[in-house]
Amino acid sequence: MINPVLGREIRERMRTGRAFVVLGVFLSLLILTVYLVYQGTGSTGEIQVDLARQTRLGRDLYEWVLFVMLALVLFFVPGLTAGAIAGERERQTLLPLQVTLLRPSSILVGKVLAAMSFLVLLLVASLPVMMVAYLLGGIRVLDGLKGLGIVLLVAALLTVMVASLSSLAKRVQTATLMAYGFTALLILIGPLLYFTMRVADGSKGNDLENPPAVLLVINPIAIVADATAGSGSARQSDGGNVLRWSREQLVEAKSYNGESWFAWFPDDDSGAQFRVINGRREGFPAWALGTIALSLLAAVLSYFAVRRLRTPAEVER
Amino acid sequence: MSATDLTSAAEGHGTGSSVGTTDLIDVEATDFMPDDSVAGAAADLPAADVAVRAQQLTKRYGNLLAVNQLDLVVPRGSVFGLIGPNGAGKSTTFAMMASLLRPTSGRIIVMGADPSKKPRTVRRRMGYMPDNLGVYDNLRVDEYIEFFAASYGIHRSEWTALVDGLLELVDLSVKRSAMVNSLSRGMKQRLSLARALVHDPELLILDEPASGLDPRARVELRELLKTLNGMGKTIVISSHILAELEEMCTDIAIMEAGKLLAAGPPREILERLGGARTVKVRFATGISETFTVADDAEQAALLRRLLVDEGRDVVEFVEHSGGLEQLFMTITEGVVQ
Repeated sequence: MINPVLGREIRERMRTGRAFVVLGVFLSLLILTVYLVYQGTGSTGEIQVDLARQTRLGRDLYEWVLFVMLALVLFFVPGLTAGAIAGERERQTLLPLQVTLLRPSSILVGKVLAAMSFLVLLLVASLPVMMVAYLLGGIRVLDGLKGLGIVLLVAALLTVMVASLSSLAKRVQTATLMAYGFTALLILIGPLLYFTMRVADGSKGNDLENPPAVLLVINPIAIVADATAGSGSARQSDGGNVLRWSREQLVEAKSYNGESWFAWFPDDDSGAQFRVINGRREGFPAWALGTIALSLLAAVLSYFAVRRLRTPAEVER
Repeated sequence: MSATDLTSAAEGHGTGSSVGTTDLIDVEATDFMPDDSVAGAAADLPAADVAVRAQQLTKRYGNLLAVNQLDLVVPRGSVFGLIGPNGAGKSTTFAMMASLLRPTSGRIIVMGADPSKKPRTVRRRMGYMPDNLGVYDNLRVDEYIEFFAASYGIHRSEWTALVDGLLELVDLSVKRSAMVNSLSRGMKQRLSLARALVHDPELLILDEPASGLDPRARVELRELLKTLNGMGKTIVISSHILAELEEMCTDIAIMEAGKLLAAGPPREILERLGGARTVKVRFATGISETFTVADDAEQAALLRRLLVDEGRDVVEFVEHSGGLEQLFMTITEGVVQ
């Protein structure tokens, strides 16, 4: 039997006009991105004969659409998921739910899957927009699917984290603030720490003690950037956006750390498996490392969320 | 309870079903008996005849003692009213019965199981309606019930009959396809009751179900609860409308500041704690006199004296009891936690 919470959430979500507004805004912004990038290259709209230039345009389009898609996901997930548990609590429907035979984990899973199913709808609907780049020849179909997959993975992890955080709040407004604060922290804390430490190191005149590169890895943008670093024709891009900049920072950070993600123990065995060997992307890739770190964080948060949903409880929540 | 049972009960043909399922009773349920000084004669009932039994039940939130060593026995098949001012600890007691809150100390056994240790066992046999009316506004009435049927693990093939039966029972059949947000408060209250009944529980815990209802909706709810009690369900209810509870309840308990002040059948408590009652007598001469008597025996003696000893022509002999309201005001002090 389908998770009852999932079924009800989908039914309620799709019954309101809000879902279609979000879908419309999501697709409109992606289409606008394609239009702006296309215009930005000075295209006349005629068929390009310079294949190299057309390929670069395709790659730029892919990079920008991917980045805007990620940015929209990072913006919409907190808004769509923050009320998951707090909303039940605020409209006083949580107690009747808690005295049913549903387990706390089922309630949380239902909420997460419901939010995820809507995100899947958003991302699948945006696939044709992304594939404009394929038509121009900048990417392969696999690249497009890979980009979509990694954005979906980041979205899933963020959904679990935000839904779990929602169990801590009594009001949707509080939960929404917490969700956006947490997402902002997730995006900014690593780079802020890394660059602050680098400036501090630099001011001491000490070039050897660089901050650990792993600080840059536990970051949704870095994960997507590294996973879509590209191969084949996808390498031929010089159009810059945040994803490209992020990739450059990852490479630079590792080079400062003896090609290791961890500066603290660059010579031991555990450090070695996280290195780039002979300049090739071997060992443990940044996106996998970041995904594991976010997965652990999501697991910890969901553990506390389930605990908080468990009844009988010591205090009324 | 099948959908057919529900329908026949709604049509007024429901008969009181048996309530003794002793095979499901935990051994732990039988190994304690509460103090019967306030819990009333029900304290001596065997475990099979008891729906809820609390012993020294205590709930503390930091410095606040919400429920203080409560001894309580709810007989099976009864309509049990829990009465007390705001802050008396009624909702906290209900939350502990409903396996939502863990007691700080003491024990509670609900339908033969300890809600702290076996919450799912209790939830299978208990329906709970909290004091706050929370419903999903963007669902249809039938979808709302189906959602809770699914949440109780009821198979999809049974949903249609179940929804039909429940909606007929709570008189919402005509609203089957209406959106929940279009219902009046009274209808939402009845829908919530249908939700609490979805898994056919033997025990219903209703926290202030008549709160905010207009007089007509209150009467309808009262009739519905009588029907449910006639189907053999034990009903534990709290309300501020004492006159209604007096009429409906077979047993009551009065709480204040987390403590139990009295428990038992209303008449018994009134006689035990209500003090003197007044009897208004009207004679054939047109004169009326008021007498004060302590109990039934004194009341009978008064009537005999007037009719036999004094030979007066009595045309009306009416007992004036203050009822639950007067009793409540007499034995509570207005203490709020």
